[in-house]
Amino acid sequence: MLMRPNLEDLRIIGFYLGRILLLVAGVIALPLLWAVLGREWGPASSFVLTAGAFALLGVSASARAPQGHHLDWSHGMVVAALAWLIVPAVGSLPLALSGHFANPLDAIFDAMSGLTTTGLSLLQDLDHLAPSLNFWRHLLHFLGGQGIVLAAVSIFAGGAGLSMLYGEAREEKILPSVGSTARFIWWASVVHLLFGVLVLGSVAYFGLGFTPLRSAFHGLMVFFAGFDTGGFAPQSTSIGYYHSAVFEAATAVFMVAGAMSFGLHYAIWRGPHRFRALRNLETRTLASTLLAALTLALVGLATLGLYRTVPALARQGLFHVLSAHTGTGLATVPSSELVRWGGLAFVGVTLAMALGGMASSTAGGVKSLRVGLALKILKNHIKAVILPDRAVVSQAYYQGGRKRVTPPLAQAVLVVTLLYVALYLAGAVAGLAYGYPLQEALFESVSASANVGLSVGITQPSMPVVLEITYILQMWLGRLEFVAVFALIGFTVAAVRGR
Amino acid sequence: MTRRLLLVLTILASALLASAPGAVAAAPAAEPFHWDEATVADILAEPEAYTRVVVRGELVGDFGRRDDGTVWVQLNGDAYADAPLLAGGSLAGANLGIGARIPAELWPGFDEPGGYRARGPLVELQGMWRYHDPGRGGESYLDVTGIELLEPPLALEEGIDWLPLGLGVGLLAIAGVVGLRIRRRAA
Repeated sequence: MLMRPNLEDLRIIGFYLGRILLLVAGVIALPLLWAVLGREWGPASSFVLTAGAFALLGVSASARAPQGHHLDWSHGMVVAALAWLIVPAVGSLPLALSGHFANPLDAIFDAMSGLTTTGLSLLQDLDHLAPSLNFWRHLLHFLGGQGIVLAAVSIFAGGAGLSMLYGEAREEKILPSVGSTARFIWWASVVHLLFGVLVLGSVAYFGLGFTPLRSAFHGLMVFFAGFDTGGFAPQSTSIGYYHSAVFEAATAVFMVAGAMSFGLHYAIWRGPHRFRALRNLETRTLASTLLAALTLALVGLATLGLYRTVPALARQGLFHVLSAHTGTGLATVPSSELVRWGGLAFVGVTLAMALGGMASSTAGGVKSLRVGLALKILKNHIKAVILPDRAVVSQAYYQGGRKRVTPPLAQAVLVVTLLYVALYLAGAVAGLAYGYPLQEALFESVSASANVGLSVGITQPSMPVVLEITYILQMWLGRLEFVAVFALIGFTVAAVRGR
Repeated sequence: MTRRLLLVLTILASALLASAPGAVAAAPAAEPFHWDEATVADILAEPEAYTRVVVRGELVGDFGRRDDGTVWVQLNGDAYADAPLLAGGSLAGANLGIGARIPAELWPGFDEPGGYRARGPLVELQGMWRYHDPGRGGESYLDVTGIELLEPPLALEEGIDWLPLGLGVGLLAIAGVVGLRIRRRAA
């Protein structure tokens, strides 16, 4: 029997959701300050409106504090799912008012793409966009990549926020408490931010000859897009704008850092056995899949004859496979050229996008740990069939210590993996329904679902509305890894049909 | 296991790369001396079809003055070059841009590239379209041999949008009052 949620349930959800919205209202002070300092009055006005909308929603939702009851598992999931819907919806206001979008839905698409660190965009005339608005787009990457719920937990929710963190697909508890784990993630991110802006800004200033202010601007934007595996770029030609192998290499370093789990960051930075993490199933799987995808892409590109020398082939192939596998979506070639990457090059890049980076990182996709476990389960299954009945098949694997593949774990891994495959196919079917070729429809669907952002040109302002909504849902589902969304659906059904 | 996989993949990749036709393609044959008038959209649509081109557009982004005596900039050939949004132009899709490398001796020393504050200089560039230039790691760009200014930069202005500002201040005020009342009630 379905239990209808009571008033206390709504109060709990509203209270924590309201706190998250208030936090975002405070964050908007940053682009607002940028706009005021830069005398960008139009964007400044829209940031005031957005801050006001978030503040009023936040105060209203958290007006009545819950009495006695604590945030349980389903509450946390619903809060996470709702936060990841409301923040892009309201956060799209400055974009919608900028005049760079054909309609509010396009602006919501971009805000969802920003927050989920996807990087697909429907923005028109990016090259004349106000810098404060560009900053807001990239700040959405940072908020989403590091986790808006995580930010809220680190500030006010403490241990009660564990379920919300799970809802945000962050299952890793690096330190003993949830609060200290959240604070470590933010601390590591801020250190990376300072280092990233310094490195990328220096390359822009000394290597590319940009002015100091513009160098810092490009450094900050590209850091957000790279480290948060986002994919937005400050100029319309993405990373191809810079025409610099050094800048691409520096960006790639932050893309890889962003695709690493914060547990691995912790192990490398502080752990007494920092290189033991390299033995982890997840690390080894990521290295293997990267190598396999890269091989496929390079062979495919060589077969197509697009690049005449091996260094050119290696530079272009490596950057795009890294961009795809880390879920970043930055590109050095336009989508009109990416669409020509057929055959094995298409297979390599699409596979890299679909498999994704590490769990509890800013990357999307199935994730390396699940891929590694799924392969192990398959291998064990085959062994069990082939070997004699009395043979014992080891279920052990190494991931921060020796662990066992238990039946519930195997079930969870296979279910989520299958859900991702289903999501990839569903988006591809939607693309096919609008007449796009299978290869392009599948590429764009995987890119949206795995929160990558590489595009073969389907995502453009004139795209069909239904397909646009499909991609918005795919980005949302892919980023939250399904469970929180299912919890929200269950909660809604219970509210309507429960007793 | 990883080492074995690496070895197998390396051997496989080497064999396939060596047998791939593109990997051993010869340098492009010499072409007749002829300047094609093209738009940026034409070049992006058929990048391998152009070599010597004359193309018009707006210089946007940054003027990257590099140590090797060149200036790198992006040339946009879209509708926003003629009618910027802030000057009343209408939406016309995403930007269409290519990179341009201009020798310092040809560089006229423009002050401001196109961006939020300005519609950049409108120029006609003549040069060699380097598609997947092997000398620059496969980059594509226009190697400029001639530049002509068609229109100087145009300053763009955007005033305060009073309606969202007023609404925003109002919402913030209401949120503040509600928040204060909740605090008082809780106290």
